[in-house]
Amino acid sequence: MTLTGDGLQPSEFAVTAARAVADCAALSLREQARHLANDGLLGVIAAQDVGGLDLPLAFAVPVVAAAGSGLLGFPLMEALLLGRTLQESMARAAEAVVSGEMLATIAWQGSVGAEREGESVVLNGWVARAACASEADCFLVRIGTGAAALVSMDSEGIVVEEAAGLDLTVPEHAVRLQGVTIPAGSVLPESTWGHLCSDANVLRAAAILGSAEACLAMAQEHASTRRQFGRALSYNQAIRHALARQKLGLEGIRHAITRSVGGEAGALQRDAAFLAAGVYGSAISEGALQIHGGMGFTWDVPVHRHLRRVRALQAQGDVSAALAALGRRYVGAIAPASDAAVSG
Amino acid sequence: MTVIETEPPEAAAAADLSGEAYRVAMRRWLRANLPASFCSDGGAFLPPTLPQSIAWEAAMYRAGLAGITWPQAYGGHGRTLREHLIANQEIGTLAMPESVNSIGKELAGPIILAVGTEEQKRRFLPAILEMRDVWCQGFSEPEAGSDLASLRTRATRNGDTWRINGQKIWTSGAYRAQRCLVLARTGPLEDRHRGLAMFAVRLDAKGVRVRPIRSIDGRERFCEVFFDDVEVLQSDSLGAPDEGWTAAIRVLEIERATNRMYRAWRFENELRHLISACNSDPVLAQLVADRHYAVKVGEIIVDIEVLKAHVETAVDALVNGDRIGARGSLAKLHWSEAHQRFAALALELLAQASLPLLPAVQVARRRFEAIYLQARAETIYAGTTEIQLGIIADRILQLSRGK
Repeated sequence: MTLTGDGLQPSEFAVTAARAVADCAALSLREQARHLANDGLLGVIAAQDVGGLDLPLAFAVPVVAAAGSGLLGFPLMEALLLGRTLQESMARAAEAVVSGEMLATIAWQGSVGAEREGESVVLNGWVARAACASEADCFLVRIGTGAAALVSMDSEGIVVEEAAGLDLTVPEHAVRLQGVTIPAGSVLPESTWGHLCSDANVLRAAAILGSAEACLAMAQEHASTRRQFGRALSYNQAIRHALARQKLGLEGIRHAITRSVGGEAGALQRDAAFLAAGVYGSAISEGALQIHGGMGFTWDVPVHRHLRRVRALQAQGDVSAALAALGRRYVGAIAPASDAAVSG
Repeated sequence: MTVIETEPPEAAAAADLSGEAYRVAMRRWLRANLPASFCSDGGAFLPPTLPQSIAWEAAMYRAGLAGITWPQAYGGHGRTLREHLIANQEIGTLAMPESVNSIGKELAGPIILAVGTEEQKRRFLPAILEMRDVWCQGFSEPEAGSDLASLRTRATRNGDTWRINGQKIWTSGAYRAQRCLVLARTGPLEDRHRGLAMFAVRLDAKGVRVRPIRSIDGRERFCEVFFDDVEVLQSDSLGAPDEGWTAAIRVLEIERATNRMYRAWRFENELRHLISACNSDPVLAQLVADRHYAVKVGEIIVDIEVLKAHVETAVDALVNGDRIGARGSLAKLHWSEAHQRFAALALELLAQASLPLLPAVQVARRRFEAIYLQARAETIYAGTTEIQLGIIADRILQLSRGK
């Protein structure tokens, strides 16, 4: 893979990422960080000043999809986003994330209150859905509606709850912040959270795409090799049509992601990519489980790991609230009909 | 009748334009020339008569909005598929009537371009674009619907003349067409896909009888067509006798991915119309702002965006010279089902309007009741949902059928 030079294509990252993800299988979280960093994968979208490649978001898509497909047990999406989010106001921290020296994550659910005290800010509240928070060095929390702060995990007043939720691959934690004092310089401006979530939606869609692809491949393999009534399962129209519907959903997600990182894409296309992934992703992994029959319900068949992951990613992005917000924005922007045609 | 009879200055100017400038020119022309009575989202809507539709579509062609990618030698505008997409986006934005000659422009024309002789291209193609010849499609038969390869209509050759005997069904628009693209069998029935040939049959030929069939929306637009010893000259035979099926499949693949490319943008026009009607009614305005319906509207927006993504990906693939293969089935399956979901939502919402119905709600009800009924056909025609799922399983997933 050429890491510099013009003409680099996002797809070129897919092979490197898949290999790196496979290599990470037996490594600790910190070893994974260094391994992924050595392959240049943590800084794909971060600035070159902090050790990144300064590439558009489209280049992170195949990386995160490979992580989804390979069930990478590392908060990769968070590392990718933090490298870029921190690169201007907290360049040292961004550099540490990109180089794999510092393990950082993001608490996607909830927000904390913040009070300024001289050169410090005091944080109070509950946040959740922070991947791998029990082992992380620091994490990003939302303040109020749109600001954010980077908080060291060893700060006084932080309690990380036991991992909870469905996801076994990248376990999520709730975190309590009780009078946690951080330097005022660790607070990022009001627009931070919105930008972060917009990028995160595309990468979540990519992670779901990876998982959905893996699920369909497993279901297809099972349907072709498992025999019932003297024939392969795939002989039956009910099975063929179920798999065809999964393929339809998968290609819908893939095309929506491609569109969301195209030159003319905006917030709508990014939301749509995540929401398409949210809607189709669980249907594909649930469908794959069903095709496996009783075997699909066993711990050893990894379809449930993908299903758990997909459901956790949906919840992180809050599909239902995002759909309602999209619908409300649309409804609110359209004027009541007059007698005249509304065409255009 | 307000349809333009002379070439507007914009059309001539548009010939030199590309990209966004081309888009602006097409948009200006459409907005300046589309009669308000043709727009089903307005209070002045009055469905155009057949002569009005023919005149309008001929004017669209002269303005550069039909035959966009066809070679100039055959009356086309010689533009790129990307410009075809741009024009379709602009067409979709407006609630204008469907083409009465989409079979000519999107099926017969491309097949003739692919397998026709030079003489056939010069004879048939300009006539399609100028709307002198309206075409219909004679593929399905009473015993050969989804299983098209079992069709029985027979073509027998005697020198330079063929004789066609048989019956076609579900032939949309046969009552108004001059030509029918007939798929007929030249060999034994057991040959299935082999031994099929295509013909451009004149519908005023001796022995052709057209019988309309009333559809669920009360219209009589699709028909049965009977061929009783109909004489067709060899010069109206399209492609080599055994090439018919292969040619049909090749063109249908592309057609399924590219036909009525404006669909996603028309779908968007329909959603905008529905919401604007709802916002004009106090009860409906409150309903669509509530979370339940906001989520449903959000789902429709995602459906539309995914449809656009399917279309744009197909255009990119074709522009890059990739084979489209069976991928058109993905887009067809998605839009037909998404459109039915939308139409059901529109009916459900509009049924809750306050009384007496406001004019804007009446207009919307009229439009969406028609769309709801017509959308039931969308998962049936051009290959049923079940056929599309089969194509995806066979040709994209390549699932084994073996024992």
